[in-house]
Amino acid sequence: MTTLFISDLHLQPERPDITRAFERFLTTQAQAADALYILGDFFEVWIGDDDDSPFNQHIAELLQAFTKPTDTKSNSTKSNSTKSNSTRPGKELYLMVGNRDFLMGEAFASRCGATLLPDPCVIDLYGTPTLLMHGDSLCTSDTEYMAFREQARSEMWQQALLSKSLDERRAIARQLRDQSKSMSSMKAEDIMDVTLDAVVNVMQSSQVSRLIHGHTHRPAVHSVALADNNLSGERIVLGDWDSKIWCIEASADAAPTLHCYDFPNEQP
Amino acid sequence: MITLHTNFGDIKLELDFDKAPITAANFKKNAESDFYSGTIFHRVIDGFMVQGGGFTADMEQKEPGDSIENEADNGLKNDKYTVAMARTMDPHSATAQFFINVKDNDFLNHTGKNSHGWGYCVFGKITDGMDVVDQIKAVKTGTTGGHQDVPAEPIVIEKVTVDA
Repeated sequence: MTTLFISDLHLQPERPDITRAFERFLTTQAQAADALYILGDFFEVWIGDDDDSPFNQHIAELLQAFTKPTDTKSNSTKSNSTKSNSTRPGKELYLMVGNRDFLMGEAFASRCGATLLPDPCVIDLYGTPTLLMHGDSLCTSDTEYMAFREQARSEMWQQALLSKSLDERRAIARQLRDQSKSMSSMKAEDIMDVTLDAVVNVMQSSQVSRLIHGHTHRPAVHSVALADNNLSGERIVLGDWDSKIWCIEASADAAPTLHCYDFPNEQP
Repeated sequence: MITLHTNFGDIKLELDFDKAPITAANFKKNAESDFYSGTIFHRVIDGFMVQGGGFTADMEQKEPGDSIENEADNGLKNDKYTVAMARTMDPHSATAQFFINVKDNDFLNHTGKNSHGWGYCVFGKITDGMDVVDQIKAVKTGTTGGHQDVPAEPIVIEKVTVDA
């Protein structure tokens, strides 16, 4: 029984290496897990669940295969009749939106067999309440972004955008990307870090001593001084997948740990 | 008998269909379907191995076929001038990329059916063109497109021919 957390893959057709790393991740590490949480910025850009580009379809199919129950019959040894054709239950998949793919909605999630999580949300992780966030809402020093975030999360703003044609939305996304280099940057120094006050506030108001988030591209494990009860909390930050695979693994026997893997090059 | 026609000369290899039937058949299939034509030896480490069969000269990765079962428990050793399959961390992930051992690499041999011990499946050996392999292992290498140990001048597998 293990649970995995990843975030900030920034999947995009221009980076087939990241898609390939994710494909391998799903068929290797993730096969040993029971549940996978993707905590935002899974896609570099998301212009609506109705965008049926071949790339989006491919990713949806990967996730469908992951969440779908499968026959575990051996595929190479047909003659081996002793193997039973038992059914392996599908994996649990949870999606949270990030600041890039915040238009991702229920339609896409259900198409993939996933559950869409609100940001923030508290889960029971093997007995420990654990707060999950993308992390952008913790960067309160970035007042300009915080203002945009509030606007962009409003129903009205989203409806206005989603009512435009796919072509129009694609053009807007391209324009936004060209306008600001930092919008498409994977570098941590182009993204503001969280403010400690925001972290402490949200952890205390959610009554948790553990927070898992991504967004900042600054993977690390931090201890957090929680004033209320003199407790030391823990903040685990996922990394982005620009050149490495970052993932948090938790199980009933082991506290969550942050892992980093190289992209799966074929080697001896 | 398989011949790798490279811009450095021909390398002949013999596949071991008895001990590595799946892997040998997979290699033969890739050779016959021309998958290897135009691929390069993209990872060259003298004193270890030379690896190829997956990238083109401009370091574009070719989309390979399905992965195959790892037959590294067949008793064949990763000795000098043997040919084995490259793979990812997953033992059963080999597709097309292969490598030629340029020294006895005992640590690549099968020791157990677990992720650390599976080893790398030897499926053939070089029978002619050792001098070509020796030339390849000695070339100048550098970092290209995020990959290390890439030869400065591409070592191209122009064609692979299969004789009955």
